[in-house]
Amino acid sequence: MKRRSFLKAALAFLGATTAASFVYPLFRFLVPPPRQKKVNSLVIAKRDVPLGDAKEIVFGGIPAIVVNRPGKGLIALSRVCTHLGCLVQYDQENKRLLCPCHAGVYDLEGNIVSGPPPKPLTKLPLKVEGETIVIG
Amino acid sequence: MWERLTNWLEVRIGVDDLVRSQVTEYRVPKNINIFYTLGFVAAVGYLIQVVTGILLLVYYVPHPDHAFRSVQDIMVKVPFGWLFRQMHVMGSNLMIAAILLHMLTVFAMGNYKRPRELTWIGGALLLFVAIAFGFSGYLLPWTQLSYWATTVVTSIPTAVPVVGDFVARLLRGGDQVTGATLSRFFAFHVSILPPLFLILAGVHLFLIKRIGISATPFGLPAEEKRPWTEYHKKSHADGYPYYPRFFQMDMLMVMVYLAVMFLLITFLPNLFFPPDATIPANPLKTPATIRPEWYLLAPYQLLKIIPNKFLGILIQIVLFLLFLFWPFFDTEKEKNIMNRPMLRVLFIFGFILWLILMYWGRS
Repeated sequence: MKRRSFLKAALAFLGATTAASFVYPLFRFLVPPPRQKKVNSLVIAKRDVPLGDAKEIVFGGIPAIVVNRPGKGLIALSRVCTHLGCLVQYDQENKRLLCPCHAGVYDLEGNIVSGPPPKPLTKLPLKVEGETIVIG
Repeated sequence: MWERLTNWLEVRIGVDDLVRSQVTEYRVPKNINIFYTLGFVAAVGYLIQVVTGILLLVYYVPHPDHAFRSVQDIMVKVPFGWLFRQMHVMGSNLMIAAILLHMLTVFAMGNYKRPRELTWIGGALLLFVAIAFGFSGYLLPWTQLSYWATTVVTSIPTAVPVVGDFVARLLRGGDQVTGATLSRFFAFHVSILPPLFLILAGVHLFLIKRIGISATPFGLPAEEKRPWTEYHKKSHADGYPYYPRFFQMDMLMVMVYLAVMFLLITFLPNLFFPPDATIPANPLKTPATIRPEWYLLAPYQLLKIIPNKFLGILIQIVLFLLFLFWPFFDTEKEKNIMNRPMLRVLFIFGFILWLILMYWGRS
């Protein structure tokens, strides 16, 4: 290899190494910390969610809702609309969950009724223990 | 004394030569029109944003617990704080309007054609950076409107398979819009976008200076209307000197820009402050009406009416790339849009569609 070619190759190698040694820390610096997987369960009183009514909660940092459906029992759903992240609201009269941003409509199972949402609302684990509701 | 000072400068930086070559003897085409001033107007608009932005930094606190309060204090407690904030807010919208109008007129006059493809791309990227300025600045007052508009826009990448969630988290600094997002957007707004804008503006100006200002295609001989295949600087030897003729046109339009700005501040001070822009952000309640600034209303409405999220975003990406690389798609030799009925129809149809989507998105 000629001296000039060797110097070019060495310079390219050193330049690439220098760039990489900045790019990797920069990437790691900007990436947010990983999600916390373990979320403690949340307990609420059963009387706080009367039949046909709903209660908004925050579970593991995510806004959620517990709905007491007539004839179908309790269900806990994430309130984060699967379209673009707005929070759905409970429409007691029509027994629906509505997203105010792009008019997404879900039923009380979290399934899409109409509008642009691509997926149903995320269901959260829920169990009833005596007079309390345990989410998570 | 003055003569000694100018002599001193002349020896060191050649002011006379600089003024002569760039101002008094710099020629512009004879058939130049008022729309050619819009680039200069946008540059002055940017300068106003920089000055008012620096002033707002003196009192603004980029923290979720203090951001809203600090902006309210700027508006009601700090002497003339309202003026500089209003200038900054109105200015951001007017600057984008000036760039948009500049690009529309450049398009209509076919001035993006060979060899000015890169000048067009530079301008399109400047428009994109100006919108990024507007979008990142939108969150900073930490209002209901800004919080939820940011939530919606930062959720858009989630439609992209595999990397979408990661990109959304990268933008937000976490799963939701939080204080981490505010910090990121603030850093982006005040320290990343300004140098990026200046670099792009520098490249844009360099290209204009190197190639020369493009004459309008109206009233020119046929060979002048054709794009060139080889480089030669367009110096417009028979044109008018930049100073005083075109400089006066530039300054007239800057005055119009300022007049519009202060007219809006005086008579429509709440134009860009709907009710949700005066309520502090509540991450647990999405307001009933959420809509972005007027320049994002059309893509916002498009997302709303296309039932498939991925398809909606894909269409927007395709439209953006088409806009950015338009000079490479339009290879027709004729510059004059009046001699190109198909392009004229496309231009009018696209413009009307954009207006309809904007109006629809607002209602």
